[in-house]
Amino acid sequence: MWATMTQCTDRCKRQISFPVTIEELFAVQEQQPEARIMAGGTDLLVALRHGPQDTRPIICLERIEELRRIDELPDNSVSIGAAVTFGSIVRSPLLKARYSLLTQAASTVGGPAIRNMASIGGNIVTASPAADSLPALYLLDAQLELRSTTGSRTMAIAEFMLGPRRTLLQPGEIISRIILPPAQDWSIQLFEKVGRRKSLAIAVASLAAMLRLAADGTVVEARFAWGSVGPTVLRCPAAEALLKGQPLSEAVLTEAAALVQDAVSPIDDIRASADYRRTVAGNLLLRLVA
Amino acid sequence: MNASALKIGTSHPRGDAVAKAAGTERYAADLYPQGCLWAGAVRSHQACGRIISIDTTAAAALPGVVKVLTAADVVASNRQGIIHKDMPVLCDDLVRYCGDPLALVLAETKEALQRGMSAVQLQLEPLPGLFDLDSALAADAPLIHEDKPGNLLAQASICKGTGLDGFDACSVVVEGSFSTPVQAHAFLETESGVARLEEDGGLLMEVSTQSPFRDRFEISHALGIPWGKIRIVAPSLGGGFGGKDGATVQCLLGLAAQHADGRWVRMQWDREESFKAGYKRHACRMEYKLGAAADGTLQALHAKLWYDTGAYAHLGAEVMELGMEHAGGPYRIPHTLIEGWCVYTNNPTAGAMRAFGVCQATFGFESMMDLLAAKLGMDPLELRLKNALVRGDENCAGMRLTTSTGIKTCLEQLQQHPFWQDREVWKAASPAYKKRGIGLASVFNAAGYGGGVRDAATAKIELTPEGTFLIHNAVTDMGQGNSSAFLQIAGHILSQDASRVLLKQPDTRTAYPSGSSSAGRTTYTFGKALITATEELKARLLNWAGMILFLQDNDGLELQPGRVLHQPSQKEVSLVALAGYMQPEERVCLGQYVAPTCKEVPPTAKGFFIGFPHVIFGYGAHLVRLEVDSLTGQLTVCDYLAVTDGGRVLNPGMFDQQVQGGVAQGLGYALMEDFTVRDGVVKTPDFATYLIPGSLDIPEIISIAAQGEPEETGPFGMKGIGEVAMNGPLPAVANAVADACGVRLCHGPLTPQRVLAGVKG
Repeated sequence: MWATMTQCTDRCKRQISFPVTIEELFAVQEQQPEARIMAGGTDLLVALRHGPQDTRPIICLERIEELRRIDELPDNSVSIGAAVTFGSIVRSPLLKARYSLLTQAASTVGGPAIRNMASIGGNIVTASPAADSLPALYLLDAQLELRSTTGSRTMAIAEFMLGPRRTLLQPGEIISRIILPPAQDWSIQLFEKVGRRKSLAIAVASLAAMLRLAADGTVVEARFAWGSVGPTVLRCPAAEALLKGQPLSEAVLTEAAALVQDAVSPIDDIRASADYRRTVAGNLLLRLVA
Repeated sequence: MNASALKIGTSHPRGDAVAKAAGTERYAADLYPQGCLWAGAVRSHQACGRIISIDTTAAAALPGVVKVLTAADVVASNRQGIIHKDMPVLCDDLVRYCGDPLALVLAETKEALQRGMSAVQLQLEPLPGLFDLDSALAADAPLIHEDKPGNLLAQASICKGTGLDGFDACSVVVEGSFSTPVQAHAFLETESGVARLEEDGGLLMEVSTQSPFRDRFEISHALGIPWGKIRIVAPSLGGGFGGKDGATVQCLLGLAAQHADGRWVRMQWDREESFKAGYKRHACRMEYKLGAAADGTLQALHAKLWYDTGAYAHLGAEVMELGMEHAGGPYRIPHTLIEGWCVYTNNPTAGAMRAFGVCQATFGFESMMDLLAAKLGMDPLELRLKNALVRGDENCAGMRLTTSTGIKTCLEQLQQHPFWQDREVWKAASPAYKKRGIGLASVFNAAGYGGGVRDAATAKIELTPEGTFLIHNAVTDMGQGNSSAFLQIAGHILSQDASRVLLKQPDTRTAYPSGSSSAGRTTYTFGKALITATEELKARLLNWAGMILFLQDNDGLELQPGRVLHQPSQKEVSLVALAGYMQPEERVCLGQYVAPTCKEVPPTAKGFFIGFPHVIFGYGAHLVRLEVDSLTGQLTVCDYLAVTDGGRVLNPGMFDQQVQGGVAQGLGYALMEDFTVRDGVVKTPDFATYLIPGSLDIPEIISIAAQGEPEETGPFGMKGIGEVAMNGPLPAVANAVADACGVRLCHGPLTPQRVLAGVKG
């Protein structure tokens, strides 16, 4: 049976469970359908601080080994358990060799302590417009494996994300794995996050870029995704198409930047103005020739 | 054997290093007395309003809730404040900012406290609030305090030479308008303490405070407890920076203790409450006009400074006055007119913070110096050197400087540094889409309370029966390291090693009034008193040893760790033995010191209540090297150099730490710290929204001590440098951005958004 039922004094009378298999997790969930699922807690615990009246049970994923593994699959795709921390992602030689875009993005999450707690699955489920891993996962065509007592299904990440804090995750369902299709050969993989400080910052704008160049330096394929400039990750097919067959130059990228600045729909908030986010979203493309 | 004795001028480890690194240092926030009650303030959600009713019935009836108090339960003045007593402990008629306390709940547990606080029913009639300088200064503005016409806490001016007529002779004049944001102290340990009433009706409080002795007067005035019956104990602070100078939790805690039947009461503000109700650095708006002769000799200055002091006075007037006294920088300017307004608004209360009004004015002035240099076509360092104050000059406030004045030395040492010498080479090597710039700031900061205030300390040191020495510190250590300096001073005089010199943090029952831990005076004033006390104790020890050893005089007698040795005969007496011979009162020595004040106050200042002028200043010359990202507007501070004149350095390691801490806090102020309030509501309520710099935002900070003169009046020639470093970063970074990309930013902080908007034009 799973280790369970810790409670924290008079303060909350909250039930907390630590299942060690996914089956156990579903068994707890059946008894406590209102329970919250927690991996690293870096989003959930902050939310609970501001809502102490929420005493729903918590089911922790941290002891479910299956959710904490990074595995290469027989077809050369790579599976990342939903509870894998960004720290583990940053330290994985396999991911660094094949999907350096994700490694770069993961290394911008919070600071070292946050990275050692925060999970990639949590980053996806929280569905923040500013989530650091999402632009990279979009470009890498990540597939999500969703499990429930009734079975599992797989879905492309872009399909899964509906909007800020909204996904297609159904009640009783969890993300179990993120599957990255076999790595392709990209000439450039670049992730840049712009925040208000150099660590522990929420993205004001971010860009993930992957490009394949021909021997003469012209662009064969370009993929771009932006974070924090719209309700979900933003792609800009027009900018990608514009680059195709062109040399990677400041002039072409400036032209593409203008298309991006038209395409984004950022907001004003305490961190930055919409205008700043729009400008930066375009400008970041020029880093490709820096 | 003397090798291990503490010695002035060397980098001994801090006395508190081990306890703090091991997590065993006990702060006020660590105190949970057995069976204590929890106290919490119910605060206004309106920024401005009239109290219709406060219904405590439901809250008081809740299980675990012990008492719910309102202003009606306060028997005395119900007003706190250091100088201007305008701040209610619990509001009785009006609320003046979003966070004003209305009721105080006492409960058995933290959870019961939360429930009780939520159950207090407030009925407030909203009144129109004043949230910026212009609306507060408008002719028809409602008054925030009835007795303060024009919503002015203070209005003052300094006029020197021929004032504005000085511009007539100027060949070059530059003008500029600037503003600076509200800054939070953001100390690790939020405002906290415990208190109880003693059997004799006295109040005992252990609290995170910079001003244990003065707190007694604030509490006494507000709550009616005779101050002589109030005992304050002040352990090490988990940060202060000015935010714990004056009552924070003290009066609320005292009131709670008055209604707790002798039980301990505990209060600790959480981060959100600290941000809302704690004091802040004043936002400031400035207008500057600076004139010079064609050769760059400064001639005339007109500065207008408006400080937003929020709902209550705290030390707002004094903050403004100190800013005015520094508004012309560390330069010779024959003609000045400096005007200041300290304005009440319905924003959170502003008060003391490191570089107390000065870092605002420094941004204005040092930006003006670069504007002037550009207009003159002159090297900005040359312009500063040319006008730098030297001893004997009159400063911008008309005060003739008779103490150590090292700004010129600081600038000259900076000039020799490779960062300055190689500046063009470094700038030329900037990477793609980055622009490099170098910025300067020359800064100064007064030390001590200033004219009209007695700046005194009484130190106490005793030889214990165990043969060790115990210093009774009376000025709080908020992390700046004054206690370590005191250990070093006593150890040096008594030739003792670190293990034999101990220190007890302030307790008003066993130490003596020595003022607050503030104003760059802490080590200076108490250190001087401690020297007197320690030398007296040393004399007593030598005398006793001489008697025991049958010596006709002190020749050949010396103190060594643990003993007094007669060198010629090699006879010795241990300190334990001496302690046994001496009577208890003989083992205790007191020493007093009163800091120097200006005897001939220049007639330049009008409207100053106290604190003018100052006679001792720390100086610094700062240089920053940074990169501007032209795609994002982000700034990367690559290197920082601070040359500081603090007289003689007692402990080089701690000197550097003070400078580095000040620069880091200053870089936060320059780059990102922006406590945002809209319509009286805090928009940056926590550390997710109020950003302070992390390790990656702060470069290696090179601290160099100026090879200048010692400050003759100070202990071993030192003067305070706790604040001066805070002043440099904002103007230096702004000047470096202008140097890098030609964009002059006049509004702090210098966020990527502001930088990029400037770059885009």
